[in-house]
Amino acid sequence: MTTHEPSILARDSLPVVTPPVSAKTVRDIVGGRGHLSLETVQEFWQFREVQLALVMRQLKVRYKQAFVGAGWVVLQPLIAAGIFALILGRYGHVKSSEPFFLVVLGGMVGWVYVSNALTVGAESVVANQDLVRKIYFPRETLPLTAVFSGLVDLLIALGVLIVVSFAYGIKPALSWIALPLPLLVLVLFAGAGALSLSALNIYYRDVRYILPFMIQLGLLASPIAYPLSVIPARWRELYAILNPIAAGVDAIRRIVIEGTWPAPGTTFAALGYSLVLIVLAAMLFKRLERGFADRA
Amino acid sequence: MTAAIEFHGVSKRFRGARSGYSMARDDLVAFLARRNREADGVHALEDIDFEIPQGQAFGLVGDNGAGKTTLLKLASRITYPSTGRIRIRGRVGALIEVGTGLHPELTGRENIGLYGRILGIPRREIVRRFDDIVEFAEIGPALDRPVKQFSSGMQLRLGFSLAAHLEPDVLLVDEAIAVGDAGFQYRCVERIAALVKEGRTLVFVSHNMSAIEAVCERSVLLSHGRIVRDGPTRDVIREYLHGVEDRLLATDHSQAPSFDEELELRSVALLDERGREVDGIEAGGSLTVRMSLHATRPLKRPIVEIGIADGRIGPLTMASMLVDGAVPDELVGNCVVDCTFEDLPLMPRVYELWGGITGEAGVGNVLRWQRLRLFRVEGEVAETGLAAVSQTLTKAPLKTSYTWHVESGLDPRSAS
Repeated sequence: MTTHEPSILARDSLPVVTPPVSAKTVRDIVGGRGHLSLETVQEFWQFREVQLALVMRQLKVRYKQAFVGAGWVVLQPLIAAGIFALILGRYGHVKSSEPFFLVVLGGMVGWVYVSNALTVGAESVVANQDLVRKIYFPRETLPLTAVFSGLVDLLIALGVLIVVSFAYGIKPALSWIALPLPLLVLVLFAGAGALSLSALNIYYRDVRYILPFMIQLGLLASPIAYPLSVIPARWRELYAILNPIAAGVDAIRRIVIEGTWPAPGTTFAALGYSLVLIVLAAMLFKRLERGFADRA
Repeated sequence: MTAAIEFHGVSKRFRGARSGYSMARDDLVAFLARRNREADGVHALEDIDFEIPQGQAFGLVGDNGAGKTTLLKLASRITYPSTGRIRIRGRVGALIEVGTGLHPELTGRENIGLYGRILGIPRREIVRRFDDIVEFAEIGPALDRPVKQFSSGMQLRLGFSLAAHLEPDVLLVDEAIAVGDAGFQYRCVERIAALVKEGRTLVFVSHNMSAIEAVCERSVLLSHGRIVRDGPTRDVIREYLHGVEDRLLATDHSQAPSFDEELELRSVALLDERGREVDGIEAGGSLTVRMSLHATRPLKRPIVEIGIADGRIGPLTMASMLVDGAVPDELVGNCVVDCTFEDLPLMPRVYELWGGITGEAGVGNVLRWQRLRLFRVEGEVAETGLAAVSQTLTKAPLKTSYTWHVESGLDPRSAS
């Protein structure tokens, strides 16, 4: 019987070329619970192209259903605002100095974005279990995909608001440069909601049943179909901060419809509060994230 | 030597409610009772400690449920350890199950881009490798279809092709490639070997012992979530296969005495050359099978047959009185039937002993043809071929002597 080489790889006779591995690719995984850290942010940045790819996919899927897909982004706030303006404007006796339809449309622009981001975001991890169980990437990209891809819809809806307000004879104003501020408030708040709901949804089925109810409640509890001025003056500011949707929507209305600057104190306080919320949500997400692949 | 993968005291427990959703109620109760629900869960891995040096081909061996896949999932960060620490150096390419790393909604082309980005590979590198990946995966015409429309074979090929071509520093490969057709499996092993030759680290899980032995220089044997052996692959495989055999022998229920109407088989003993009772023999040794019988009434010219089988259907060899004609005139009362197999040319492993007795001329069952017991042929594997241990211990059972004669590059005219 002939003898063979002891190994298919004949390593002894071959110079072993160890590929250069840079120090920064060393990864430590420590047991126990996950937590939010600087590394989370670094890694998210490292995986930014994955986030981009996921957002692009989401948009492609949505707008691939071509005409109708894009059409709904325009129609959804218009129809909702129309219905609320009709019912509340005629029978609700809501007082408003501006055209009521425009006020409601301004609210709807922000609301449709937040509620869609929350609904899609909450299901994002559950819906992508296949991906979660097969490949590593920072899991927060899943709920954040809903938040970022919704931004495109938000900008289109904002365009609709501007076009409609032109029809009401409103002129562009310098204050428009402040628009990113309320948008940021809404993005941060939607991000906080999507992160925490998507993580909880993996563990508790309850989330799925509670969320639609919360969204309905949110529509009533936020100044969407009514102006912020409906809230008694002494509670107004606190209310707008604790419900950043109110601050965001009110700022959008002031900027676009009234052509004035948003209330700085309220807006920045709401911004700060939303920041706190998203950090808390990210902490919750990172704490629960490690169990995602073990469930489902 | 720098380690590509380090596991330090790693344990993995799954929570009590392992599948599906848990009830908020239960978690609340556990929280109030200050009880960690993970602590009373299922242990998948316990106290795992090892280091894999860069460039090593490393095998994971063990039964189903021993924790091999969980270990790979930990190394690829799909799941996380409950306690302990894992350190990974470099990019990890993983093929853990069919479709690993593939996004079902994206097309094949998009997946190649996405996977590269997840591994952190520059775009130009992906572009450079693109054709190789597509060619290896053989998905050409389906490239622009969503992966969910791929057959499992196509998903597998694309997944492996991605994991193997995008320059991973560490390649994790599970059983998965066994799903592919023979040609693809061959190319996978070839590709894996090439990567290891380049100095990349491989962690390989397979139930195909020959593949593990041929590719991996070192292996770990996992049993019930613990490492029970860590060493040169052939030693680990030998221990694993012996363990499997030991359990076979321990659960051998075929030794119960058998009663037939006219004949009672009281015991089956094995004797070595010196007549001592044994449980097995050395490879190449002789084996005497002693059947102790009790015939309730005289049995005229019975035909006794004894066979040796290796678990596959039908005996490998057989001693039959129908063949050799050594038929006794009569069996009556207490009897002993000895049958000696000389110089059994069997590879070392566990075999089955079968036996049966029929009436005169081989007609009519006196003692139904049945498995009598198991026995072991002991022996060291002296050969040094690539997969000598696993082949000898699991493949063709008969040992014959043979020689090879190979000529290549022959002149076609002189060959005829």
